[in-house]
Amino acid sequence: MTYVSNFQRVMDKWRAERGPLRIMSASGQLGYGVIEAAFKAGLERDLHLIGADMGSVDPGPYYLGAGKLATARRSTKRDIKMLLVGALSKRVPLVIGSAGTGGGNAHLDQTLEIVREIAREEGLRFRLATIRSEMPRDLIKQQAKAGKIMSIGPIPDLTEAEIDGASCIVGQAGTEAFVRAIDLMPDVIIAGRACDTGIYTCLPEKLGFPMGPALQMAKIIECASLACEGGGRDSMLGTLEGDSFVLESMNPARRATPMSVAAHGLYEQADPLSVAEPEGVLYLQDSKFEAVDDRRCRVSGGRWVPTTQYSVKIEGATRVGARAIMVAGSADPVFIEKADIIAGLVEAQIRELVPPNPEKPYTLYFRFYGLGVVGGQPVTTLPEEVGVMVECIGEDEDEARAVAATAKQYLLHAPFPGRISTAGNLGFPFTPPELTAGDAYRFSVYHIMQVDALAPLFPVALEEVG
Amino acid sequence: MRLRDAARVIRSKNAGPTQVTIDLMFDDPKLFQRALAAASLKPEVIAQRYGVAEAEVIPYPAANAIKIVLPRRVIAGSPGDTDVYGAQQHRPMIDVEI
Repeated sequence: MTYVSNFQRVMDKWRAERGPLRIMSASGQLGYGVIEAAFKAGLERDLHLIGADMGSVDPGPYYLGAGKLATARRSTKRDIKMLLVGALSKRVPLVIGSAGTGGGNAHLDQTLEIVREIAREEGLRFRLATIRSEMPRDLIKQQAKAGKIMSIGPIPDLTEAEIDGASCIVGQAGTEAFVRAIDLMPDVIIAGRACDTGIYTCLPEKLGFPMGPALQMAKIIECASLACEGGGRDSMLGTLEGDSFVLESMNPARRATPMSVAAHGLYEQADPLSVAEPEGVLYLQDSKFEAVDDRRCRVSGGRWVPTTQYSVKIEGATRVGARAIMVAGSADPVFIEKADIIAGLVEAQIRELVPPNPEKPYTLYFRFYGLGVVGGQPVTTLPEEVGVMVECIGEDEDEARAVAATAKQYLLHAPFPGRISTAGNLGFPFTPPELTAGDAYRFSVYHIMQVDALAPLFPVALEEVG
Repeated sequence: MRLRDAARVIRSKNAGPTQVTIDLMFDDPKLFQRALAAASLKPEVIAQRYGVAEAEVIPYPAANAIKIVLPRRVIAGSPGDTDVYGAQQHRPMIDVEI
């Protein structure tokens, strides 16, 4: 008997019925806790696809650079297990994008290891397609030299040294890569770094749905129920009708209203009216939002313009050193008033006691929380207490820790004019108050790279699991 | 009138690691129009307030909202950053007069 994969099954079914396409986004942040009630309710909706996004650049450069997941392993495993067991039990294809936060090979491999472990423990058998998203460095160099790489926002142009120095460089796979994965006829697709939209647009594209509405729907449901009034993390159902789609949260208490859905278009976007994808641009000027009832919203108007020049968003992180911090607080009014002066005195003392390497000096930051650190706004009245954090990024952990420990001792006992609290300037919540925080990274790559072909950048492979 | 008394939502968040975006959402379309016309919401005034070279102000009438896009002074998570997600950069807008 020939094996009918879950993708094959839903495509055959849809071709026989020709109705709308029911796609559920299980989670916009897989690994932080999928809400079970809404997910289970969604499973009963005769779905054609279940998707989840797992990654982002939002949590900063560390995870991409270090090859680590931002989510805890046990929470990640819980979520993936819920999706795998649920999707396979209903014979619905499952698509997970941006595996393991960063979407590099290390992130994808750790995610796949969790997937295989779940399969062993639960006795699951399925066909798994993977998409890899790490970018070949020689191609990046070649495109940089040819002027085909553009910065996104204020980040320097890419040099050869910067390209070589990055710990990891990924590209965002688009619909095209997911469609190639579907062609392998799997039950489950797990991608490295990918556009969050591709997770949801691949099946509509494969079945010939217009790309504008499909992409607009993908862009909204990828955040699960966030487009509902007051937000929400519950699974979200998108019913793609062709030129329009209907949004419905799988939590009956959440309402997708025309206003809440329209407002969601602003979220984390520099431009609310266009979305650039590797294969073209989605324009949203003509969007229409209408209530179906008090908790479902119909959306239309997304206009897709394909491009002849493919482009890939590339992201990379580079190690800058090792980080150590010191945390404390002060309730002393004289210390609080003179915090900046005291920091200057202590910094000079630290540089004398832990001499920086002149070739690569460590960086040192004094942060007095309560005195205008976070919001970039000067504080007009002094607070009763301040939080104190000293951060050092050194060449290695030993250097960073030495700086943080010295900062602790000298900030605690620093003399300053007008001092009345001569036994100590700080309160520590615990000891040791100096903590190492692993390697520190920076985003060194956040660019658009023009390419002639997308397929060679995102290789797909098929694996039988279980 | 202060922006905090006119808007329902004043929020900030990264739009990628190099930019931060501030959304102002209004329940009342008249207040949306009033804010849009205010001198304090001109791009150059906002850029100066945040100490950056330029700002972009994008009206989004579909949701009675205004989007502001700013370059980040420090790329998200780079040494010296104090707000990796950019979620606390709305403060300088809260008391702006419109």
